[in-house]
Amino acid sequence: MRVEYINPFVEAAFNVLKEVLNTEVKRGELYLKSTSQPVMGVAALVGLAGNVEGRVLFDMSFDTALAVASDMNGEKLEKLDDLAKATITELANMITAQAVTKLHELGFTFDLTPPAIFTGENMEVTDSEVEALIVPMVLPQGKIEINVAVRERL
Amino acid sequence: MKTKMDFPSINERKPEGVKEDGSPYKVLVVDDSMFVTKQISQILTSEGFEVVATASDGLQGLERYKELYPDIDVVTMDITMPKMDGVTSLEKIIEFDKEAKVIMISALGKQDLVKKALLIGAKNYIVKPLDRVKVLERIIQSIK
Ligand SMILES: [Mg+2]
Repeated sequence: MRVEYINPFVEAAFNVLKEVLNTEVKRGELYLKSTSQPVMGVAALVGLAGNVEGRVLFDMSFDTALAVASDMNGEKLEKLDDLAKATITELANMITAQAVTKLHELGFTFDLTPPAIFTGENMEVTDSEVEALIVPMVLPQGKIEINVAVRERL
Repeated sequence: MKTKMDFPSINERKPEGVKEDGSPYKVLVVDDSMFVTKQISQILTSEGFEVVATASDGLQGLERYKELYPDIDVVTMDITMPKMDGVTSLEKIIEFDKEAKVIMISALGKQDLVKKALLIGAKNYIVKPLDRVKVLERIIQSIK
């Protein structure tokens, strides 16, 4: 997978997280995974279809999701209820919208699916025939991994 | 005992969400995200507006508007929603009431749809992420 696909998502995540959480965001080291990989507990997934296809996963622990959702709502949320999930979904929406605007400018054309939220222990994701690039974003609330697996359609 | 109520200070401005006669501007919030609906409602309520109804898709938004009319001052309208999108809902609201004041709430990268909405008759638009200043500024511009 070409690195240029992930950069817009990382930049967008950096900008949006900084703006909506009003906090410092540190970008971790990029790494690559080619087999099944565990996800951390809460994952927002957005699908891409067009001349680029694949998916983007925003992956974080329950505690991180709850802390992020609480900060975005300006109140302490006690559990990952509908409001907390809607908040994480909206976060994924905003990051994706900004990244996609950039990718469209670069000439890639594709449509997006609305984000789907997955929660649970011991989940893993398997991408057939595409390796995933992952960039961790480190916040005071915890770590959010931007996990991108896309390819050009042949 | 003198209280603040007896001597309103000149520094206490009237909230922007309140009309000349002291009654609040009435708002309908249409958005499929519970988070965004809550965010908009909190911002507007804190400035004296009254959120009289919410709707989670364009069709419900249209129905609520018709029920509330003419006792409704402004609508915030999301673009991407299930059942009926925000641009279609706007179009039908304007068909019903050509004086309707509708403000579009858009994600980044929807310029074409925003342009279309403005041509149809939306009064303004706000791009997410939303913040208090941006939301109030755009809505107040549209109603004054
Ligand atoms: Mg929406």
